[in-house]
Amino acid sequence: MPSYLTFRILKGLFVVVLISVLTFIVMRLMPGDPVYLLLGDGQIPITDEQIAAIRAKWGLDRPLPEQYLVWAANLLRGDFGESLIRAGVPVRDMIFEAIPVTALLNVYALGLAILVALPMGIAAAVRRNTWVDYTTNIVSALGIATPNFWLALMLIVVFALQLRWLPPFGLRSWQGFILPVVVMATEEMAVLMRITRGAVLELLPQDFVRTARSKGLSERRVLYRHVVANALLPVVTVIGFRVAFILSGTIIVETVFALPGIGRLFVDSVLRLDYQVVQSLVVVFAVLVVFVNLITDFLYALVDPRIRIS
Amino acid sequence: MSDGKRTNLIDRTISRRQFLKYSVYSAAGVYVGVNGLAWAQGASGGEIVWMGHQEVAGLGPNDIGADVHAAVIFNVLNPLVHVNHVTETEMVLAREVEVAADGLTYTFHLHQDVRFHDGSEFTADDVKYTYEFYAQPGNTVASRFIGMREVEVVDRYTARVHMDSVNAAFLRVAGEVPIVPAAYHASVGDDGFRTAPIGTGAFTVASWRPAESTVLAAFPGHFRGAPLVDTLRLDVVPEPSVRTIALLTGDADGTVWPLSTEDNIDFMDDPDFRVVATNWNSPRHIPLNTRLPQLSDKRVRQAMMFALDRQRIVDDLESGFGTVATSHLAPHNPFYNPNVPLYPYDPERAKSLLDEAGWTVGSDGIRVKDGMRLSFTCTTISGDQTRRPMAELAQIFLREVGVEMQLAEAPVASILEGLRQGTLEASLFNWTMGSTTDPSPTSTLLSNGGDNFTGFANEEMDRLIQEGLNVVDPAARMPIYARTQELFAEEVPALLLHFNQGVLVFSNRMKGLPEVITSSTPLFYRGNEYSKG
Repeated sequence: MPSYLTFRILKGLFVVVLISVLTFIVMRLMPGDPVYLLLGDGQIPITDEQIAAIRAKWGLDRPLPEQYLVWAANLLRGDFGESLIRAGVPVRDMIFEAIPVTALLNVYALGLAILVALPMGIAAAVRRNTWVDYTTNIVSALGIATPNFWLALMLIVVFALQLRWLPPFGLRSWQGFILPVVVMATEEMAVLMRITRGAVLELLPQDFVRTARSKGLSERRVLYRHVVANALLPVVTVIGFRVAFILSGTIIVETVFALPGIGRLFVDSVLRLDYQVVQSLVVVFAVLVVFVNLITDFLYALVDPRIRIS
Repeated sequence: MSDGKRTNLIDRTISRRQFLKYSVYSAAGVYVGVNGLAWAQGASGGEIVWMGHQEVAGLGPNDIGADVHAAVIFNVLNPLVHVNHVTETEMVLAREVEVAADGLTYTFHLHQDVRFHDGSEFTADDVKYTYEFYAQPGNTVASRFIGMREVEVVDRYTARVHMDSVNAAFLRVAGEVPIVPAAYHASVGDDGFRTAPIGTGAFTVASWRPAESTVLAAFPGHFRGAPLVDTLRLDVVPEPSVRTIALLTGDADGTVWPLSTEDNIDFMDDPDFRVVATNWNSPRHIPLNTRLPQLSDKRVRQAMMFALDRQRIVDDLESGFGTVATSHLAPHNPFYNPNVPLYPYDPERAKSLLDEAGWTVGSDGIRVKDGMRLSFTCTTISGDQTRRPMAELAQIFLREVGVEMQLAEAPVASILEGLRQGTLEASLFNWTMGSTTDPSPTSTLLSNGGDNFTGFANEEMDRLIQEGLNVVDPAARMPIYARTQELFAEEVPALLLHFNQGVLVFSNRMKGLPEVITSSTPLFYRGNEYSKG
């Protein structure tokens, strides 16, 4: 077990270093120059002396390998550097300000999705080909097919504009979380519903379920103790995958609802060629994904006794 | 009060009932006193909320370039002068400016007894420190100080700027750089100042969450009197339709960045809102790389101007919110010259000009000359849903006279770099040509201008630009810039489309907007004058 763990950690570290190098290269290959963006819109003349001074200030005049090594060495010491655009603000502060917003959104959305999707998925499987199943399938198909952007705007129109129950944007109160969480949970819910239904349907005809029934266990006990417990495995898989998609999955919701989360920070930083922020964010997420994958593998073993880590 | 009736107040006991009565009287007295004073000053209290589309990345003088930043910064920091909402030069911290006849000195007489938010007094030393600090090349506003040698502190309330060379734009360009308190700025550095600024403005920074909102609190010691509201907030709301809804729900009172055209039209019919439509300072235009052989002949460029039905672009794609451009300077610019060669929609004239230039129609309908096709690529900004359709319509018009304009997309940073390096053939945007701050096209039309995206090189234009910069008197500058506009119209380094109207919407809950407005961004610099009704 320790050797397996060491191997996985080393492998993870290699992945993180590789990703950091690739991100550094990709950002430098991107067309454009952040200095020109920093200097503004061109209504005021820009001098070469100004451009050179700004490059020197941010170390952008140094050779690329040196820029990478300086950045990586600082990163190892926990210094993420400073944003090119938000000068004076450490990148670490920017990331740690944005992470809680995105993390809370995802935790709430996932929680809501699980709360709704598991019972509905189970009910659909148990009452297959009844109205319960058909309704669940329709709801699930709608959830997957509805674009986040459209759903978000529709919810804002109904609950903020028409009913005036909830704020149209922002997180100035806890009510601000409701609409974005519902939007994010909708798609998640639809996917989880289908996965749960499929998993339960697959397990219901299995021998161990028949055995459980033949032992005289109540149907409820068979379902929850033997079927649902085993059906959780794909749910854990989905949750594990979800972490990898946090960045992309929240961008639209964070933009529409004006939430200062990590997805918006990432897109804004890419568009403004804010090298330090993009590189640091990618490394943070690489570490997170590697870590969560590791945890997910161990959780498999916990949830499914058939899997043993060796 | 006689001695016989004198009462020892300390020893005197009062009943609970009396205590309550006096407490209520006292509280009422304080309330009436405070609110009466506020009422007398016209104060309404409350909060005004504006919305921007992008984060407020910094709060220092180096950040004033973007409208959303400026809307916050100029309420915290004051400059010596402003170019205001009717494009006039307005005194702010300076009460008077004397410009020497030779244009080499500017003497600023400052308001006295002006305090920074930390209580320190604003003096000429702060002007000297600010101008000399931000004139250093590492600053984004450094080029505003071109030609400045030093600032002399004549006395506590008089600062004199000495120039090495005449820069006619200096007053309106450098004068807008806000003043920082020398001692505080020196102690925290510019990066520190950008995150926690102290100024003489009507508001102090209460909280700054760049991607979410910036909250400003009223500064009662402001030299023009306390603001009428308690707080001013700028929320970052990237999605235009959500900004619209927030105005309708009352979650916001105004928007610094425009809404969709359809929403603007709806608001025009709504009596609860005021729609402020002003022509932008810069026209939408297609800068052409005049170094390319197929675009180097001005007859080809003139032909393209005749080929474009620009009024249709305004009507179809801007819902009529725009004015066809005849000059690179906007009609509200004091230096605007209406008497320049015009280009009405005339495809036949375009065809004959192209024939005259030797371009004949090829088998596929695109003109050719010496084996070269009359073709170029216009690169628009990735995801720019507003201007991309204009490029598509222009493409159709040009195709009708035998000019092929292919379309591509790229991020704004790569477009700027490509244009500056001359590797891009054309683009479409509207933030460079023309400015109401100064009519000089130094950066865009001078042959070695930093933003000469078209590679335009014309001796007469260079001479006029240099001449214009050496003349300070506006009346004497007028004929110079009248000629630069004529030259632009003759040479057509860029295809001018139209001045779109910047349409901003304000709720009538926000009181105090000026009646006449020709430039909308400076409206946001006057946060202290607005109240909440």
